[in-house]
Amino acid sequence: MDSDSILEIITTTIHSIVPDLSDTPITASDTMSQLGLDSVERQEVVILTLEAIGLEIPLVQLRGPRTIGDLAMLLHAKRKG
Amino acid sequence: MSAGIEALNVYGGAAFLDVRELCDHRGLDKPRFENLLMHEKTVALPYEDPISFAVNAAAPLITDAVRPTIEMVITCTESGIDFGKSASTYIQDLLRLPKNCRLFEIKQACYSGTAGLQMAINFVLSGTSPGARALVIATDISRFALADAAEIQEWAYSEPSSGAGAVAVLVSDTPQVFAIDPGAYGNHAFEVMDTCRPGPDTEAGDADLSLMAYLDCCEQAFKDYARRVEGADFRTSFGYLCFHTPFGGMVKGAHRHLMRKLFKTSPADIDADFNLRVGPGLTYGQRVGNTAGASTLLALASTIDCADLPSPQRVGLFSYGSGCCSEFFSGVITPQSRQLLQTMNIGNSLQQRYRLSMPEYELLLRENGALRFGTRDAKLNHQVIPAAWSACQNSQRLVLDEIAGYHRQYRWV
Repeated sequence: MDSDSILEIITTTIHSIVPDLSDTPITASDTMSQLGLDSVERQEVVILTLEAIGLEIPLVQLRGPRTIGDLAMLLHAKRKG
Repeated sequence: MSAGIEALNVYGGAAFLDVRELCDHRGLDKPRFENLLMHEKTVALPYEDPISFAVNAAAPLITDAVRPTIEMVITCTESGIDFGKSASTYIQDLLRLPKNCRLFEIKQACYSGTAGLQMAINFVLSGTSPGARALVIATDISRFALADAAEIQEWAYSEPSSGAGAVAVLVSDTPQVFAIDPGAYGNHAFEVMDTCRPGPDTEAGDADLSLMAYLDCCEQAFKDYARRVEGADFRTSFGYLCFHTPFGGMVKGAHRHLMRKLFKTSPADIDADFNLRVGPGLTYGQRVGNTAGASTLLALASTIDCADLPSPQRVGLFSYGSGCCSEFFSGVITPQSRQLLQTMNIGNSLQQRYRLSMPEYELLLRENGALRFGTRDAKLNHQVIPAAWSACQNSQRLVLDEIAGYHRQYRWV
């Protein structure tokens, strides 16, 4: 699974958590804050994405990324170990 | 030997602010505000400090029969007023407690109340002083001296949820409000820079990192509990759950995370379980905001007062303090717990708080300049909001009167 596939999972997850955004195109350079997700929703996206890609790590290891693309790359790197 | 909470009271302050009104005023775009489960927050008036909050919570617990048996006063706070002298020294004096007392203060962000409670319970369980009681008071207020727009911006992430409140508990071998399950606990702690108070009147933090640490701790502290307690099951062992509550939406997220991770529960079943077992513990927190060290005990009070309680119920409690340290522990509440707690009229006291308008609230933020940490001399202006002061009269409430040579003087109104 490459980081583009993970990006797609993140995007789908955001749309499932915030149906209001279903008509909003989401790109790698977007941040979840800019898209209007609150802190609880942002964590929910991260948790569901981890489940979807079968990765089990402490959430605090995922601090830092600003954009959704950065998050996808970090998850990809963590998954590769 | 049994041990736990013999008596409990909450002090939720003298004034509050509507949180939605605050968010609108600050221009915070929260399209799904209802999901955050925030309604009101207590705002400390300039003549209320962590000590007046603590004493107002504890005073109804100190009967003439109880007073001579108190041998320890633990103040749990992240809003202390002195780096050396503990708040317990003022509290002992103001409540006329015995001189043969251990007095100290402990700190670990919002975990402090649980740390204090466990210290007191283990003092009782140790049996070193049969019949002795300990007074534990978790007291925290969020008060920030905001000089300009930049500082308001820095505080923006937590201003809507930051509240104020104190919970006092009398710990003894007669735990008629909450009987601890001795030895049933689990911890998870690690160094993380999620939220802190790096200066006397400032708070800094990373909302995402704090939520990540809270969720990691919730899962790992429960797993440590389950390692110690044979047969522990998050779904079936506890009739009710009390979580540290920065705001209700965060608790809902943590409950959802655990139910999904441990049992793959469906969203509909998670919602039903949340409303049944967690909801009653959020009621008071939604009125006072995040009370930091007092928050987990506030959730316990809220559960006892608001849950359906026809028979004894085991309660699971999760406490988290940024930085970070956490604990999952448990105990039992009974219909008698409610009878005793209802004599404290907690809901009624919250109802009687003065509702601040936004201009009044903003005035208080500026007025706080008079009470910065380390203030040497000050005469408190009780008339800063005349209507709020009027509402305090004849309420048997302690207020701060003046500071003279760093020494705080209080009076009852």
